Amino acid sequence: MKKMLTKTIVAAGLVVLSASAAFAHSPLCSCFDNGDGTVLCEGGFSDGSSASGVRMFVRDSSGSVVAKGTMNDSSEFEFKKPEGAYTVTFDAGEGHSIEIDGSDIVE
Amino acid sequence: MGAEAKRDDKLMKDNFLIALAGQQNAGKSTTYNMLTGASQHVANYPGVTVDKKVGSYREGKTRYEVVDLPGTYSLTSFSLEERVSREFLLEEKPDVVVNVMDATCLRRSLYFTFQVLEMNFPVTVALNMMDVAHNQGISINLQELSSRLGIDVVATVGRKGKGKQALKAAIRKSVNQESYSSPVAVDYSDLEKHIQALEILLAEDTSLGVLYPLRWLAVKLLENDSEARRIVEVHHSKGESVVEEALTRRVLFEDEADVDTGDFIVACRDRLAGEIVEACVTKEDETKQPVSERIDSWVLNRALAPFFLLATVYIIYELSIVQGYKLTTYTWPILAKFRDIVANLLPAAGLVEDTLLRSMGLWMVDSANTLLNYVPIFFILFALIAILEDSGYMARIAFILDRVFHSFGLHGQSTLPFILGGVFAGGCAVPGIMSTKGIPDERSRLATILTVPFMNCLAKIPLYTLLVNIYFAEHKSWAMFFISTITIIMAMIIAKILTTTVLKGRETAPFIMEMPNYHAPTVFGVAQRSVERTWEYIKKVGSIVVAVSLCVFSLLQFPGLGEERMDYYEAEMNKATAVFDDKASGTSYGSVTDPVKMLSLLNFYDDYKRARMSSSGKEGAARVDTKFKESNPEFFTILKPRGDKQAKIVNRALRKLSSKRKALRRKIKEEKIKTSFFGMIGRSLEPVTQLAGFDWKVNIALISSFAARESSVATMGVLYQQGADDNKTLEQRMDSETQSTGMTPLHALAVILFFALYPPCLAATIMVKVQTGSWKWMVFAIVFPTAVGFGVASAVFTLGNALGASGIAMMKGFYFVTLGVALLIALGHKIASDKVASARAFQP
Repeated sequence: MKKMLTKTIVAAGLVVLSASAAFAHSPLCSCFDNGDGTVLCEGGFSDGSSASGVRMFVRDSSGSVVAKGTMNDSSEFEFKKPEGAYTVTFDAGEGHSIEIDGSDIVE
Repeated sequence: MGAEAKRDDKLMKDNFLIALAGQQNAGKSTTYNMLTGASQHVANYPGVTVDKKVGSYREGKTRYEVVDLPGTYSLTSFSLEERVSREFLLEEKPDVVVNVMDATCLRRSLYFTFQVLEMNFPVTVALNMMDVAHNQGISINLQELSSRLGIDVVATVGRKGKGKQALKAAIRKSVNQESYSSPVAVDYSDLEKHIQALEILLAEDTSLGVLYPLRWLAVKLLENDSEARRIVEVHHSKGESVVEEALTRRVLFEDEADVDTGDFIVACRDRLAGEIVEACVTKEDETKQPVSERIDSWVLNRALAPFFLLATVYIIYELSIVQGYKLTTYTWPILAKFRDIVANLLPAAGLVEDTLLRSMGLWMVDSANTLLNYVPIFFILFALIAILEDSGYMARIAFILDRVFHSFGLHGQSTLPFILGGVFAGGCAVPGIMSTKGIPDERSRLATILTVPFMNCLAKIPLYTLLVNIYFAEHKSWAMFFISTITIIMAMIIAKILTTTVLKGRETAPFIMEMPNYHAPTVFGVAQRSVERTWEYIKKVGSIVVAVSLCVFSLLQFPGLGEERMDYYEAEMNKATAVFDDKASGTSYGSVTDPVKMLSLLNFYDDYKRARMSSSGKEGAARVDTKFKESNPEFFTILKPRGDKQAKIVNRALRKLSSKRKALRRKIKEEKIKTSFFGMIGRSLEPVTQLAGFDWKVNIALISSFAARESSVATMGVLYQQGADDNKTLEQRMDSETQSTGMTPLHALAVILFFALYPPCLAATIMVKVQTGSWKWMVFAIVFPTAVGFGVASAVFTLGNALGASGIAMMKGFYFVTLGVALLIALGHKIASDKVASARAFQP
């Protein structure tokens, strides 16, 4: 029985680990075109937690990273708006990332 | 009262109380739904956490109130559910008891029926699941059954609503009956003389007979039932001597018959049940294996059972937690809207500091929203649990894992709460604690509630990752394996400790292995249960969150900053506003330099950003824009200057000012935490926590993480601020600072251990209150794990220092010690239970 427990636990662990992780809150992120060639993104979590330190990626239409960084202490991230289509990724861990399409980022 | 008067009484009465009673999985809930339709509600029985479901239906002027009693195998005082059911019957004296029976296992069901009949209640039998019985080739002679039992028997298929009118008619007939025809009575053969003698003794006090059926009491006294003894002692003038007499007679009987009285009573009932089944039931094809058994030959197969279990658990996890979180993306804006409404009602935000009313109000809304954000997850979770329960698989999960869990004082049904809490990684204690509701054994249920928070909820993961990356970089995978498995091992050990100490006196229910037949759950039943339980959650959160969040708020907010510090921050803010004034005064928007107007512009900007954040997509953004443009066109132009060059200048200055304001507010907040009562506790504990190697910074990070507002990593980030400007990562900053203060992997191990055992967050402890219904347990759930965590951390740190062992060596050592303890407990339990089993086996 003990063996079965161990087996079950190990297998359960693998299953759970492979599933996407979940924090105790939902991620939030929104970006604005500042109108001066830069884009400002602001992040946070539904329970009011700060998003400071969350990784941010900007990718062009081919998927290669054109800018990256982390949310600053004010949970903000600013980058130069790339030419053409792009996406912004707010990466707060697996299951907690948000991808924003550049066409949704308006002034 | 003569028969005439009684008849008048019945005629006048237009409100009847009906109790639905029966064994688990007999289809009581579906019968209840069938009778009452939508008009029902859930309450609690006084003092216990067992649900009391009350519904009603009308027939003309007459109202029938239906109470769905908890499903129990018998009516002894073994488990909480059984006692609740029995007390309800005795106290409320329903006009009729509708006994829902499973037609596929009549013999077992009759065992319950006899007990209700013995209590002298008018009983009507709803013989349920006739369709399943039919499919299994079982046919039951209803007339014969009815005449043998001496009561009405109605065939029903609750799931399909069949037999509803017939059942209602039988109920109507039963409540209007003038006299109650005598139903079947169990013949206790050799015990009868003792029963009758006791009955005579009990009848000496005439008041007792009015309250309780005497024959039933006599049987119960001979069974040595504790509740029956209490009744007699309290209500009978010579109670104690009667109880004494019953015990003497019990011993006398056992000497004569050489058999346990309890066993003998059961055997008598079983014999009668057997006779009745013999006379009424014919089975078409004895060799045909029922569908349920065929399914079980796969599902409970030794080799396959773990896979079915895992697949089920995975589906629950995936659907409720993963997909549920995705749903919160859509439900969150509703909560954000609610926050905005409250924020608008409260006094507007100040420049660097808000009024107490505003910050407290928002804190409370945020706390409530954090818990309400789980509603979609719970809705799915509860629906899935209802499906598991109704289908009959839940009983099988308990069956598969009960032996293992039982060694540690837990229950087979503790599986689900642990999985949802995050056995390895990726759960949350809130749904975990919430799902302990179904555990029938009070002691195991409490032990589960108190140990689920030890699981690795994902809010703990960032801190683990941070510490492992700095201090155990070379042993990363081993360290993560350690963290993920040590928690379950510790939870098991602690469950064992709790159940043998503080929880020792709690109710436990004997685990009865009875596999109900598989049924297809109904959509209505599942949806209804899910809505009902979710609503209950919302109501409870509403009432508790206020008190708890107020308490934590005060501890974090007061005594607040001194005047000198506030002057400093105000001066800093003034510098920033001066820059803004300088930039803006030259433009055509110069009027915004007016302090009042500037503040409302800043707040307008913040509100706008918040609104945009909780809107989704292009259209959502456009809607927000239109709304804000309408409310203040001038401010909106500054926010979105487009071609307006002057507005652009103000916009840039505004953004700078706003971020400066944000930074200052954040610093004030951090400083407030440090100087708050919580912070003081953190500092004053330093001499003690030194034992575990924690300095005050770690103390404060751990304390503030409890409030779950800013995650522990964020707090750490603020506390280790030096170097923040050099664009170093937090890892590097902590690394460089700890080199100077001498923090070692051993320190990190102590922090990890403490963090793993420490209560995870406010929300989880609120759930402890909700599920146990007691503030005392909530406080215990905070204090006890903190003490355990601290004890373990101190022991490991102190021992490691004394031995001069490295962090990784201590990690391995600790792991094997705890694993050894857990295995010993399991082994000890196995030996003990084998002994009991062998003792039983040799009895005649």
